[in-house]
Amino acid sequence: MSTPLSLDRLRPCLEGIVPSGIATCGVDGMPNITYVSQLMYVDPEHVALSFQFFNKTRQNILANPVATVLMMDPETAARYRLTIRYLRTETAGPLFERMKAKLAGIASHEGMSGIFHLLGADVYRVQGIEALPGRELPPVQSGPALLPALRRSVDALSACQSLDGLIDGFCSSLERNFGIQHQMLLMADEPARRLYIVASRGYAHSGTGAEIPYGVGVIGVAARERVPIRIMYPSSDYAYSRMLRDQAASSELAERLETAIPLPGLPEPASQMAVPIMAGSRLVAVAYVESRQECHFGYDLEDALVALGASTGLAMAALLCAEASAEDAAEPARSLAVGVPSGEALRVRHFLRDGSVFLGDDYLIKGVAGAILWRLLSDHQRSGRREFSNRELRLDPALRLPEICDNLEARLILLQRRLQERSDCLRIEKTGRGRFRLDLARPVVLVPEEAA
Amino acid sequence: MIETDTLDPAIAAFITSHLSMQLAATDDAGLATAVRCVGCRVSADRRRVTLLMPRSQALPVLAGIAANGRVAVVFNEPESYRTLQLKGRDARVEAALPEDAAALLPYAAGFARNLAGLQVPEPYVRTLVSCAPDDLVAVSFTPTEAYGQTPGPRAGRRLAPGEMET
Repeated sequence: MSTPLSLDRLRPCLEGIVPSGIATCGVDGMPNITYVSQLMYVDPEHVALSFQFFNKTRQNILANPVATVLMMDPETAARYRLTIRYLRTETAGPLFERMKAKLAGIASHEGMSGIFHLLGADVYRVQGIEALPGRELPPVQSGPALLPALRRSVDALSACQSLDGLIDGFCSSLERNFGIQHQMLLMADEPARRLYIVASRGYAHSGTGAEIPYGVGVIGVAARERVPIRIMYPSSDYAYSRMLRDQAASSELAERLETAIPLPGLPEPASQMAVPIMAGSRLVAVAYVESRQECHFGYDLEDALVALGASTGLAMAALLCAEASAEDAAEPARSLAVGVPSGEALRVRHFLRDGSVFLGDDYLIKGVAGAILWRLLSDHQRSGRREFSNRELRLDPALRLPEICDNLEARLILLQRRLQERSDCLRIEKTGRGRFRLDLARPVVLVPEEAA
Repeated sequence: MIETDTLDPAIAAFITSHLSMQLAATDDAGLATAVRCVGCRVSADRRRVTLLMPRSQALPVLAGIAANGRVAVVFNEPESYRTLQLKGRDARVEAALPEDAAALLPYAAGFARNLAGLQVPEPYVRTLVSCAPDDLVAVSFTPTEAYGQTPGPRAGRRLAPGEMET
C-alpha cells in the first residue's frame, strides 16, 4: 500500500512555476475556471490564493466555498487535483507579506509589475489530494542533499565558542554545505529597528556596517514580520538600490541610517531569500541569500535555513548574554607595555552629531560603533591605555547602550571588521571574554568636529 | 453573451492555436472539478467546440458533464498571457475521432513551440500533454458565453459578440 499523498511532498507544484487551474461552481451551478500563478503552500493542511481583484472565482467561493485546483509538478509534469475549502482572508501579517513578495516576483516575471496589488491572502483548507494517472518524467536531483547539509552545519556551529566564530561559521556553512555563493548576514538592532551587515560572501565589497531599516525590501520585511521571504524571479519591487533611495529621500531615517557604506548585492538577483534568525521570540539576525538563477531557492532550502537559523539564533543569544555576564567577574583591564606607535600621525575626526568617524579623509563608520572607537582613542590619548573591557563600555552613559543583552559584542565585531577593511594601522583584537585591546601602528591626532 | 450562433473567426483561430487548456465541470452537489485538455477543434460552421482529454484523468469531469451538460474551458497563450474562457450548457461526452488521435502529436509540438520562449523544455511539455490514443475522449459544446481573462483588472470581463481581446 502506498503512503497517502501529503502536501509537504507536493510543494514544488505550488511555486507558481507552472500555473495551476482553479475551478469553482457558481450559485447557478455553472463551472468557472481560471489559471493562477500565486497559489501558495501554507502548511500540510492549507494553501493560500492571492486576492487581487473581485473576480468570478472570488464571487463563487464566497457563495460556495469548495473548489478544485489542478496543479502540475514543474519537474516531473505529474498532475494533482486538490479539493479545497475557503476559510478566511488575511489582509496583513506574515502570510500576507510572504505572498506579497512572492507575487511581486511573479508579476515582474510576467511583465506585469504595478498591475498586481494584493488585497488579501485567501486561506483554504485542503480536503483531498488526488494524483492523476499519466506519464511523468523522473524527478531531478539538483543541489546538495539538504538534511546532511543541515546536520554538518549544525555540528560545525555547535563547536563555535565566540560570536565572531559563529558569524563566520554560519556563512561558511551556507557556502560549503549548501553551495550558496552570494549571501549576507545582518545583525538586528531591535531598538532602532534596523539591521547591519556583519559578514557577507560573494561580493566585490563586503558592505560590513551597511544598514537596512526594518520593512525595507526582502531583508527588512523578513525582519519586521519575522518570517522567511522568498522570491523566485527578478523583482524590481524589492530591489534595494531603489527602495533605499526612496526611503532615504522621504524619511527622517535618512539622517540616522548608515548610508555612506554601500550595500553589497547582485545588481539584478533572479532569486532571493531572507530568513530571520530567532532566539525564541527575539530577532537576532537575518540571513540573506541570492542567485543569478531563477527559481534557485525552493521550499526545502527555506526549511533547512529556518532550522539552521533557529539553532544559530539561540547560540548567538547565549554568546551575547555570556559575554555580558562574564565581564562582571573580569579583572579591571591593565595596560601592557608594548611597541610604541611610530611614523606619521593619523588624523582621526569625529562628528558628535551622528558619531561618524573619519580616518584622514576616509569615512569609517558612525553610530554606536563610531562612538565606541572615539571613546577608546580618547582614553588611549589621555592615559596610554590599550586594554579595555566590554563592561566599561556598557556602563558608559555617553554610549547609550541598552541594558540587557545588548549587542555590544556584535557592534565590536562590526568595528573590528570595518577597521580590518579600511585601515592598515588601527586594530581591535579580542584578548579574552569581554575584553579587547586597541592596537595602533601609528600615533593618532584626534580632531573633534562640530557638525557633519 | 455570444448571441450569434457561430463563434467569431478570431476566437476560433485563437482556441485552436495549441494553447494551454483546462476544462471544468460541476456535479449536482455544486463541486467543480477540472482536467487538462490535449486538443481542441471547432466545427466547420463554428457552432460547436470540441475538447480532447485523457479519459483516465477526466472521470469526475465526464460524470459531471453527463449529469448536467455544464462546462467551462480556459484557453491561455503562455507567452502573451492572453486568456479566454468559454462556457456552455449543452456539453456532451463523445468518442474521439481517428483524426483526434492523429492531432495529438501536432498539438504537443505546437504547445511546446508556444512554451519554448519561456524556457520550458520540450520533453516536459510532451509529457504534460501525453495521452494514449485509446485513452482519448472528447467533450463538445455550443459556446454561449465568452470571458476575457488576461491577467489584470479587466480579467473576467464578459466579451461582447464578435469581440476578441488583444
